[in-house]
Amino acid sequence: MKKILSLTLALLLALSLASCGSAPSKSELVLFTWEAMFPQEVLDSFTEETGIAVNYTNFDYDETMLAKLEAAEGGVYDVVVADDYIIEMVIQEGLAQKLDTAKLEHYGSINPAYQSQFFDPENQYTVPYGAGVQTIVYDPQTVNREITGYEDLWDPSLKDSVGVIDSGRVINGMALKVLGESYNTGDLEAIRRAGEKLRELAPNIRLIKDDNLQDDLLSGEIGAAVMYTSQVTMALLANPELKVVYPKEGVGFGVMANFIPANAPNPEAAYQFIDYILRPEISAQCYEFLGYYCTNKDADPLIAQEMRGYLTMPESFADDPNREMIGNIPADALEEHEKAWTQFKSACGA
Amino acid sequence: MKNRTKLPILYLGLVLALMYVPILVVILYSFNESKISSVWGGFSLQWYARLFRDRAMFEALRNTLVLGGASCAAAGVVGTLGAFGMTKARLRGQGAVEYLSALPMMVPEIILGMVFMAFFSLIGLPFGMGTLVLAHTAFCIPYVFMLVKARLVGMDPSLAEAAQDLGAPPVRVFFDVTLPLTAPAIASGMLLAFAMSIDDVIISVFVTGVDVNTLPIKIYTQLKTGVTPEVNALCTLMFLATLAVCLLAAFLARERKAKE
Amino acid sequence: MKAKARQKKGWAWLTVLPLYAFTLLFILGPLIYMVVLSFLTREEVWGVRLEFTLDNYAGIFEPVYLRTFGESLKLAFLSTGLVVAIGYPFGYFMAKLTAHWKKRVMLLLMIPFWTSSLLRLYGWIIIFRAGGVFDQLLMALRITSEPLKLLYTYPAVVVGMVYALLPFMILSVYSSAEKLDFSLVEAARDLGASPLKAFLTVSLKLTLPGLLSGLVLTFVPSMGLFFIADILGGNKVVLVGNLIQEQLMKARNWPFAAALSIALLLLTTVFLWLSRRLSKEPS
Repeated sequence: MKKILSLTLALLLALSLASCGSAPSKSELVLFTWEAMFPQEVLDSFTEETGIAVNYTNFDYDETMLAKLEAAEGGVYDVVVADDYIIEMVIQEGLAQKLDTAKLEHYGSINPAYQSQFFDPENQYTVPYGAGVQTIVYDPQTVNREITGYEDLWDPSLKDSVGVIDSGRVINGMALKVLGESYNTGDLEAIRRAGEKLRELAPNIRLIKDDNLQDDLLSGEIGAAVMYTSQVTMALLANPELKVVYPKEGVGFGVMANFIPANAPNPEAAYQFIDYILRPEISAQCYEFLGYYCTNKDADPLIAQEMRGYLTMPESFADDPNREMIGNIPADALEEHEKAWTQFKSACGA
Repeated sequence: MKNRTKLPILYLGLVLALMYVPILVVILYSFNESKISSVWGGFSLQWYARLFRDRAMFEALRNTLVLGGASCAAAGVVGTLGAFGMTKARLRGQGAVEYLSALPMMVPEIILGMVFMAFFSLIGLPFGMGTLVLAHTAFCIPYVFMLVKARLVGMDPSLAEAAQDLGAPPVRVFFDVTLPLTAPAIASGMLLAFAMSIDDVIISVFVTGVDVNTLPIKIYTQLKTGVTPEVNALCTLMFLATLAVCLLAAFLARERKAKE
Repeated sequence: MKAKARQKKGWAWLTVLPLYAFTLLFILGPLIYMVVLSFLTREEVWGVRLEFTLDNYAGIFEPVYLRTFGESLKLAFLSTGLVVAIGYPFGYFMAKLTAHWKKRVMLLLMIPFWTSSLLRLYGWIIIFRAGGVFDQLLMALRITSEPLKLLYTYPAVVVGMVYALLPFMILSVYSSAEKLDFSLVEAARDLGASPLKAFLTVSLKLTLPGLLSGLVLTFVPSMGLFFIADILGGNKVVLVGNLIQEQLMKARNWPFAAALSIALLLLTTVFLWLSRRLSKEPS
């Protein structure tokens, strides 16, 4: 008898909870991005100053973000921070609204080197927030040779000691670069050749992982890695002896950016937030926490001395003709990439 | 006879011990001074302190427990009743429904999550606790259903028949005879369903609303950025809490038995 | 007589109504959606086009993807085999305990479930990591002199799979063995049967339903579990689950992911059908 009672109570509870939906309050900002993109202090101080509560919701992959944004028909979320290539799709799908830059007092603080990129050439929809660069990081204590480019990763001395991130486009891209191709080539034959070249790398690969790859480098599980910039920063802070290499074949970089969804429930709050994090002092705080390159030129000098070198791109980079962003490619090329990537992973596990 | 019984107990003990090893590691590292899990920085209670100040974590915990309770209750009712009906009589479409109900187990969570999300938005359901409960119930039902059915299939029908012959209405027979006999299977089914629900990440990510964050989602997103030992601390506490509840229940049961 | 049977059927219908309703609404619906999706064409950028195609299913027969199915089956069989080897004796011995101990072991078994499975997996990483707990133990015992590379290997994935799936087998075998009348086994022994024969003819036969439902609860999910291969295998072992995730997320090819899922579904259905045939054999 008792069991039946408790069961029915639970059901009633569930039903009552299901029926109570909450309307977005005027003083709430729904922020949608990965975890740990903003320090809690910044979010708290924003709320303190403006009275707007920040509802910090997360996604794990850009694609999840797009799926949820689509299901929400461009509503529900006020500010979204995501990767460049997915924003291109968001804009194409009509899910972002044009920005009225007049509402952003600190708009001029943005470092123009990171603007006008492929995904938003006229800077109508986005404000950059952090940039990343594909570098090779290695531990000179365990790796006996000098590494100057992607090609060196194929060296047999690196057997079973290389870690890479779980991104087909980036890692296939490594092989493409070694073969002298573009990251964004639509040539299926070139992609196939890159796949073959990449499979030769398989014996050297110990690890394919997106999260906390720096831990494995620091603990000695791997000797060299191709990682996300924030991971590089964390690794360098923990072990300044590690060497960072800007690959001679050409540097790939990417940008993250803010945008406001087309039907955001509270766009005013969104503008206030975006402007808030453009303030130089706040910006510096964010990048110190985030570990990606600072896209705010006025914040650059405010970044802590020991971190400044890690969070700003070297001078030579701006003029490097070989630097390229990984953009979107036609579906058949993407399919070819996927096949090559799957074959590569299988070869690593064999 | 006696010395043959030593081996089974040793075996049980060994397997159980191995199952607990990672948990002990989790508990141990909740006291780790260092933030990075690869380094032991010394003993510290700072993560527990951080935990108690983290309101979002507790809200996520609350959501998860409510969700788990509701889903396992719903799955328990639907699955048990369904198992009963299907073993008692040959009904039309029985095989098909049985197969369909087990579907959530046969399809990878990622696609299930996407499909549920697409389907829910197709029929216009708002994302939140409601959709979470629906999705969780869907993948919890097979656990209850299968375990209860397996139990019923092998059960001796004569007891229930005897009760019925003695004039008891089917409802009475159900509650007083069949239900108590199948109780262990229902209980283990529901316990399993609850465990599945409070651990689900992928499906929850897709069908949850903006306001509802669950604990496994929070753990998952935090693991992706770096295991803050705060999560270890929470799991340690949950582990201890569960242990305490079980010990208490056992103690109370023994007390009740002693009184009888 | 007929009236009573009809009344019985009436009650039966009432009890299955919730299950029928829920299943048809919330499972059949999404399933139909998935099937339809698998026949559509992907849009260039994002989403799908309402254009019928069989390309998605044809695509499965590419050697690289067939190989993935093969790998998944191999791992599933290996994991399931180990789970049966370890879990069946456990469930069996557990059923032989006194009622007092049965409850205790059951609780001990279930409690780890209330700790996040993700976190427990990371616990294994801390243990197996180069220079981690296991390594230090081996070195302290002088069995090895330098760190082993245990992590991010195929065996590590198998350990992870077995660890995750074991309780399901144990519970299933237990719930079946629990109602086993052990006096029957004794009787067989008394009649002169060897322990092995007694086990095979009496115990195994009677616990077969539990074993088979355990196989289902183990084998079926093992094909789709991708995060274990992800975390413990360093993402080098590509299973169907990983593939579907990759296709759904990175490749944004929803129809293909749906087709892969349907293929997986058909595969596991065949397995279920086989296991049901087997369970009907002993009469």
